[in-house]
Amino acid sequence: MPIQYYLFLSLALFCIGIMGALMRRNAIIIFMSIELMLNAVNLLLAAFSKMYNDSAAQIFVFFIMVVAAAEVAVGLAIIVMVYRKVHSVDVNILNRLKH
Amino acid sequence: MNLFLLNAATNSLSDYLPILMQIFMAIGIVAIMMGGSHLLGPKRKTKDKLANFESGIKAIGNARQPMAIKYFLIAILFVLFDVEVIFFYPYAVNFKELGAEGFLAVVMFVSFFLIGFTYIIKKGALKWED
Amino acid sequence: MDILQIIFWILTVMAIGCALGVVLSRNPVNSVIFLILTFFAISGHYLLLNAQFLAIVNIIVYAGAIMVLFLFVIMLMNLNADTEPQKSWLVQLAGVVSGGTLFLVIIAAISKANLLGVINKETTNIGLIKVLGQVLFKQYVLPFEISSVLFLSAMIGAIVIGKKDME
Repeated sequence: MPIQYYLFLSLALFCIGIMGALMRRNAIIIFMSIELMLNAVNLLLAAFSKMYNDSAAQIFVFFIMVVAAAEVAVGLAIIVMVYRKVHSVDVNILNRLKH
Repeated sequence: MNLFLLNAATNSLSDYLPILMQIFMAIGIVAIMMGGSHLLGPKRKTKDKLANFESGIKAIGNARQPMAIKYFLIAILFVLFDVEVIFFYPYAVNFKELGAEGFLAVVMFVSFFLIGFTYIIKKGALKWED
Repeated sequence: MDILQIIFWILTVMAIGCALGVVLSRNPVNSVIFLILTFFAISGHYLLLNAQFLAIVNIIVYAGAIMVLFLFVIMLMNLNADTEPQKSWLVQLAGVVSGGTLFLVIIAAISKANLLGVINKETTNIGLIKVLGQVLFKQYVLPFEISSVLFLSAMIGAIVIGKKDME
């Protein structure tokens, strides 16, 4: 199977993640789109690891997952605290952070 | 252990056939049970029967109630410690080969988590009653 | 078309369809369920790529822990399709156009690039836990330790941000 298939697959997942991050206003859905993009990159790294027969790339994927877990913990804590302050997770309401 | 390595190196996809069969069995049993009870059971719906019973008071609002925030903090800490346990798995498989050096690395890893754990306990984040 | 290719296409359709479901569904709970299905499809791809450990870690960490946390937060905030804020169709169109443009540009670049790599069918043992553990604890000990520091800071950050009455 050519490597292009995996390239196109993870590119499609990544672009869907970008569309989700740009289209939605719910902060949680934007966060989930970012997780989707991370997973697309992980998939491509695993495909290249198989292609070059090297397990170092899989270690990197593992570390990306680990960092994603830490990121989710802090990020969701921030989202929950924002919800407690303004009673909404709409990112447009957070516009007032500018002023 | 060598046997396992050899086995996985010769054939990969057929190794997962039992897991796949088990997944299909699990999904199939649930689907048959739910579909069967849905199809075979008698259905006599009236408006009064479908309404929620709220002691004669008219039902208003959403049935889903927001939860308390303390569950959320425990869920976050669960995610972090879950990932810590995942790190032990590759170490446990290679326990003998890595020797003292690997043991020291894991002890250092765990000690950082223990520092965080004592901080959590000191702050009272896991205390259930306020 | 052998069995591996059939499985590849099934998993690919499942992954992309469920990813579209994440973005397009109105109800946030449905989005979470679709994202879990996407992660299962990606785990299947990992199995095809001889990354057995990554497949199981993906299910345990992502589908088991992170998505449960997302569901918790959605239940905590009592979100459903009625309260879901919607962007105006112009902004949504702009999002689709910019994402699609990136997709087309990179596809054009890749098809010009003349990549010769092939994922061959014979299985290797690069993804076994034993091999990965050797690599992790011999070559990448320092990132391993640093990740524990990262977790310490994540714990403290989550407590400081999330604890109810912090003075």
